[in-house]
Amino acid sequence: MVFNSYTFIVFFLVMMGLYNLPISWKSRKIILLLGSYLFYAAWNPPFILLLWLSTVIDFFVGRALYTQENKAKKKALLVISLIGNLGMLCFFKYGGFLLENFVSLVNALGMDFHPAKPNIILPAGISFYTFTTLCYTIDMYKKESKPVKSLLDFSLFVTFFPHLVAGPIVRPPQLVPQFESPKKATRLQLYQGLFLLSLGLFMKVVLADTFLSGPADTVFSAKAALQTLDAWMGVLAFSGQIFFDFAGYSTCAIGVAACMGFTLPENFRYPYGATGFSDFWRRWHITLSAWLRDYLYIPIGGNRKGPVRTYINLMITMLLGGLWHGANWTFVVWGALHGLYLSIERFIQGMKPNAGLQNAQVAGVSMRLGFVKALFVFFLVNVTWVFFRAPDFTSAWQLLTAMFTQNSKGEIVLSTLQVISVSVIIVGMVLCHWRMRNTSVLATAGKLPSWLLGLVWAILLILLILSQESSGSFIYFQF
Amino acid sequence: MEHRSLRNACIVATVLVLAFLTFWELRIRSTKVGISYDDGAELWSHYRAKVYLPADQATVFIGSSRNKYDLDLETWEKRTGEKAIQLAFEGTSPVPALHDLANDSLFKGKLMIDVTEGLVLTTSPYNFKAIDGAIAYYKKQTPAQKFSFQVNRVLESQFVFLERDYYSIKALLNRIPLKERPGIQHEPYFPIDFGRITFGRQDKMTDRFVQDTNIQNQVKGIWAYFTKMAMKEPPPPQKSIDSIFTQIAADVKKIKARGGQVLFVRTPSTGPFYMGETMAFPRAQIWDHILQITEAPGIHFSDYPSLAGFQCPEFSHLSPKDAITYTNNLIDIIEAGKWWQFPHKSAGK
Repeated sequence: MVFNSYTFIVFFLVMMGLYNLPISWKSRKIILLLGSYLFYAAWNPPFILLLWLSTVIDFFVGRALYTQENKAKKKALLVISLIGNLGMLCFFKYGGFLLENFVSLVNALGMDFHPAKPNIILPAGISFYTFTTLCYTIDMYKKESKPVKSLLDFSLFVTFFPHLVAGPIVRPPQLVPQFESPKKATRLQLYQGLFLLSLGLFMKVVLADTFLSGPADTVFSAKAALQTLDAWMGVLAFSGQIFFDFAGYSTCAIGVAACMGFTLPENFRYPYGATGFSDFWRRWHITLSAWLRDYLYIPIGGNRKGPVRTYINLMITMLLGGLWHGANWTFVVWGALHGLYLSIERFIQGMKPNAGLQNAQVAGVSMRLGFVKALFVFFLVNVTWVFFRAPDFTSAWQLLTAMFTQNSKGEIVLSTLQVISVSVIIVGMVLCHWRMRNTSVLATAGKLPSWLLGLVWAILLILLILSQESSGSFIYFQF
Repeated sequence: MEHRSLRNACIVATVLVLAFLTFWELRIRSTKVGISYDDGAELWSHYRAKVYLPADQATVFIGSSRNKYDLDLETWEKRTGEKAIQLAFEGTSPVPALHDLANDSLFKGKLMIDVTEGLVLTTSPYNFKAIDGAIAYYKKQTPAQKFSFQVNRVLESQFVFLERDYYSIKALLNRIPLKERPGIQHEPYFPIDFGRITFGRQDKMTDRFVQDTNIQNQVKGIWAYFTKMAMKEPPPPQKSIDSIFTQIAADVKKIKARGGQVLFVRTPSTGPFYMGETMAFPRAQIWDHILQITEAPGIHFSDYPSLAGFQCPEFSHLSPKDAITYTNNLIDIIEAGKWWQFPHKSAGK
């Protein structure tokens, strides 16, 4: 189920009621677990089996990995876990893509091979829970944390409904200890959670779905060449849509967890206020970036094997990060562009003494220069979004051409209202990201007088109710 | 941050939201607008799931808005003793719904197809968007979506402001008169009194619409706009018309082969609208041809005095009062022609 649905509102109220019953902590955890399975099954019940399979395999393999002293057996166990997790991900997510490319390859070699197209349904959130379970088994292999004691706690770690289908991607030390002792939300956590849930739903339903998805869809599905303004508005709309959609989901997830007394890691920190690309990736989908850094970039060498290998490692990490988002070459190019940006940035920084400090902190750099840098990063990130959202390279190229050449004969596809809406929201978003880049929404909300915060909160809720876009699924569900 | 500060903010927000929604609901109701359901894919899917009732317990209706305005569902159900399952969609071709039912081997019931010639022969994607979207939604509908629909149904039955087509943010903003960019055209804005939608998916004109010729003229103007737009398009090539006929024939054959019963109906239209339709779509080439290739019975309103005497307020659809008379007369004709039997029917009209 999705957060922006009546089903979720009812589910959440029932869960809050049951979770706060005066019963044992174990019973409350069982309620949470069953609720989490219901949350997942409400989308497509049979896929719950995959979730169980993944949970059970990784619980037992993880424990065996931790206790196994024989190196060969230990490696074999790790391979079993990797094959189990990545095999499932590959089949469901990349099966069609791999077959399509294999067919293209053999046909190019002169073989006439045309198999039937596989009709594979992608289980919601498989990329997220696979990464969650993978990090557990890898941690067990490296003995970086202790095995989870009970299957109940491990199942809850994997399945806890706020993070299950679209993150934040949690690590065992971030969540498992929270299941070990009885939890109940403090009043502050409850109010903060409700505020974050309202804010997340507002971002998703009002900003992403009501105002930005329409212009983005229109522009990215246009067949004809577009006018420059329309092309830019469509891409900017998508840059806002994907942020509000995904950050909205994460905000809801963190808020829902807080209402039950749990803390989930931050996933977005005003990314469009970033003054560099490494800064951007410390702010955008933080838990994935950190996962890729810790479980891919560093293990393949990171920056420990000289500059050339560092650049290669960066590119490998970003290419695979791109592929994680979707089984299409356009995602690979999106990742490659980010890898390229990061490499260039690193190269430039390497030429400056003590330049490493400049990126993440604006202190010492004038605000104006910092803002110009942020705008430049935002501009280049928008170029990458073209590949991320376009269905194929022809469409992407057509759109880029429209963005960077003056085509007075291009088609106009966006209405005046859409152009105004996108302009207002995107300018507001960028200014907000810049201004808020070193703080958090809760810290800012805490500084407001109650009446003003109440007014803002009311406006969010009223717009949410009036938007009446109740069932659109989140973009990141498909990843 | 202190919890008291947030608690106070939460109280302020709750009071403001409740105050605003009360004000908004009362304001809309003061304009004498009643409840109307959101007629999207969710509601359509709710009824699509009911087509499996045995043939002597239900009739399924597909087509476009004329079926939704002209057929009074309550009258149909009262007279026939059967469920009326309305699957028509405004401004859409009946072909996708027919194809969907034909390829559902479990559907073996009675099917009435509204023939609005321009929409039967259309190839414009615009005329397929709603029905294709609804069919796709039905096939992929999740348990969570079904539950949300049931909650929404309760809320929609109580609050007028939840009507998406007129009172959502998008609808409200779209009504702001802005100078439009060249080449951008908006869908015409139908007056709210033209169609209020019941939970059974029947469209009903309000009393104000039936009485006020100014509002009727607004809709007549919209028909003129659509006609003008259609005339700008090249006529569909004969090849595509032939393929539409072939598909209709094949789909009807499939339904009949497993015991289903199909009846075509040409609902009334009047004035210049009807004149234009008869000129653009000669009866022999469309209506008669459909009956011939499908070997299914059909009722053309112009063949029956009891159906031919209606005046459509905006040339194309019947008023709610006439819809009741029309439905009664239609049932009489179906029975007299012995096309369908209604074993559970009640005696009185």
